[in-house]
Amino acid sequence: MSAATAPVDSGRVALAGLLGSSARRNAWILGLLGFLALLLVFTKLIQPNYGVPGIQGLAISVLPLALAAVAQAIVVISGGIDLSIGSMMALISVVSATLMAGQSEQFDVAVVVGVLVLGLLLGAVNGGLAVVTRVPDIVVTLAMSFVWAGCALLVADSPGGGAAQWLKDLVTGSIGNEWIPKPAVVLVAVVALIWIPVRRSRLGLSIYGVGSDRLAAFRSGVSVGRTRILAYALMGLFAALAGLSLTASTGIGTPVPGPYTLMSVAAIVLGGVSLAGGRGGVFGPIVAVMILQIIRTDMTFLDVDTNLATVLQGLILIGVVMIGSIVQIRRARG
Amino acid sequence: MKHSGIVRAIATLTTVVVVAAACSSSAATQAASQPASAAPTSAAAPSSSAAAPSAPAKTYTIGYSNGGGVGNGFREEQLCTARAEALSSGQVSKITVTSRNTDAAGQLQDIRDLIAKGVNAIVFNPNDPAALNPALVEAQAAGIKTVSVDAYVTDPNTYNLYNNQVKYAYLGATWLFKQLNGTGTVYYMRGIAGNPADDDRDIGFKQALAENPGIKVVPAAGVATGWDPPTATKLANEFIASGQYDTIQGIWTSGIDSEVVDAIKAAGKPYVPIVGTDRGSFIKQLLDPVGYPGLKGVAVTNTAAVGGAGVNLALKLLNGTTVTPTAGAKPNTVLLDPIAVDNLTDAGKAQLKGWLAVTLPDPSWPLGITIDGWTTYTPAQAVPPAGCKGPGE
Repeated sequence: MSAATAPVDSGRVALAGLLGSSARRNAWILGLLGFLALLLVFTKLIQPNYGVPGIQGLAISVLPLALAAVAQAIVVISGGIDLSIGSMMALISVVSATLMAGQSEQFDVAVVVGVLVLGLLLGAVNGGLAVVTRVPDIVVTLAMSFVWAGCALLVADSPGGGAAQWLKDLVTGSIGNEWIPKPAVVLVAVVALIWIPVRRSRLGLSIYGVGSDRLAAFRSGVSVGRTRILAYALMGLFAALAGLSLTASTGIGTPVPGPYTLMSVAAIVLGGVSLAGGRGGVFGPIVAVMILQIIRTDMTFLDVDTNLATVLQGLILIGVVMIGSIVQIRRARG
Repeated sequence: MKHSGIVRAIATLTTVVVVAAACSSSAATQAASQPASAAPTSAAAPSSSAAAPSAPAKTYTIGYSNGGGVGNGFREEQLCTARAEALSSGQVSKITVTSRNTDAAGQLQDIRDLIAKGVNAIVFNPNDPAALNPALVEAQAAGIKTVSVDAYVTDPNTYNLYNNQVKYAYLGATWLFKQLNGTGTVYYMRGIAGNPADDDRDIGFKQALAENPGIKVVPAAGVATGWDPPTATKLANEFIASGQYDTIQGIWTSGIDSEVVDAIKAAGKPYVPIVGTDRGSFIKQLLDPVGYPGLKGVAVTNTAAVGGAGVNLALKLLNGTTVTPTAGAKPNTVLLDPIAVDNLTDAGKAQLKGWLAVTLPDPSWPLGITIDGWTTYTPAQAVPPAGCKGPGE
């Protein structure tokens, strides 16, 4: 019997330890969720009729930014950073809108698949250049942001094109219960279908490994270059989804990049992804995007001067990140 | 953690950029987003009584969404006139303004926020003719009136109110061709290729051209100044240096005018008749026979008070007042007619002088800040820092 109890006990200890560490690891995300809940309550207080339309508006405005944040999170976890996400989204948006304009719904399915593959390729190009040239990622992707933005303008020099009705329907309205907006379902589905399997696979492990310590990962037999390129390709895929969501929500393609690159960096920092790589996930950044969007909405509800609102957004961001850093430093010491 | 320094730098940089974005006045959009021109449709009439609120004591809330050109005088003046009209109408309890440089998706969010806020009407300067339609339909479903200003949207239930750019070009070009007695060559300086206002102006210019078969245009398709003053200066200098200026008899500009006049002056060439708009710098040149001897020109108005006029239109819709769309325009569209004033007569000079009487915060603000029949505020109410305030601000 004693032989049996020992492993059970040690198992219990291990389980408790695991729970403890996972709670610690998720403390930041739990904090974010708490903050989000507080913000929602606050929003309801200042705007008593905030309800279904508000939530739906939030969901659709969150979608492109959340997908961009997921894209950024993956590449940052792998130890890189991509400053061309906004330009890629613009390129995908114009390519899809230009090809879909006036075409049949069936053809548009092929277009969607095509631009997703294009996104994978664009990402792989960024990653490949960074790996092969050994130029820092930040420089390569900043340079590529001009390349992709220029390509977008070559495809269409002014906003235009069209989008399939089914694509537009995919991001408007709700499904089942009116409190469940379709864009939110799309976001959850896309992340669950693509990121979760990758995260659990060998590739996922390699991405985290390469991000936290390239040399150690290399010595453990991980192909560093290949992993980084694949992480960038995944980023490209999510950036393409983000670009498609822009086309879906507006019904057109816009060649000039929106403010998505910097917002994606802001969202992952707030979402608990370490810019040094190897740590964090994609859930935190998504919650962070929701927080950033609600703050803007609240500013409108409160009639805060519109220029001041942007200043406050930045200050809130740096404030939250500073608190987060202090918590992390304390934990590291303790 | 050898990266931590870089990491901290990037985090700080990101935040700084977000803050800086708010604080900067976005020079890039400034040049590109609007026909750089200014504007009284009917001069700086101190205040008009035509649309004065009399009966309705109801108070409405208005949302105003601007999706670009933050810091550009033309757009800032729109916002100020909207606030001033809301205040002066006496029917608005609150005007909520959202204004930032964003894309169509960002403006969709701003409009949806205003819907969630429960305003009675949304006036907006659209980033795209079609992309905002989903939110506009949602607004109408919530019983909110929607008015697009400065450009049209394709949503059939939204009212549009903007300057008649076809007529803008037609008036100036007709004046110019008349100065040349119907024969001669004209240098054609346009705005931004592909911009809807530029397209409309090209139509108006071509209409006037068709009525004057003796006029030749160089270059045939026009040159694009991008409504950017340095670009216009460069183009004018090159045009003069190449000797082409000596072969033309007139210049049509799409609003970047005083720069061209200054380039001619700097080259010591005699002036040819020139078409410009109601920017302070150009009007001052037209009224300065000592500094610019022999300069003949016309200023065609392009008002930025469409913001205030949009609020006025929204209130008319809320009160059930009939709004008659302009005949021949797109459906549900009110076009504001420009006027052309030259410096050839004393009456014209007096009118130009009147425009200069309003003190504006900077030279990029269009001079005409009110529109007869469409705005009810005094110029002072629309000019910061004392003015430019909505109800309760």
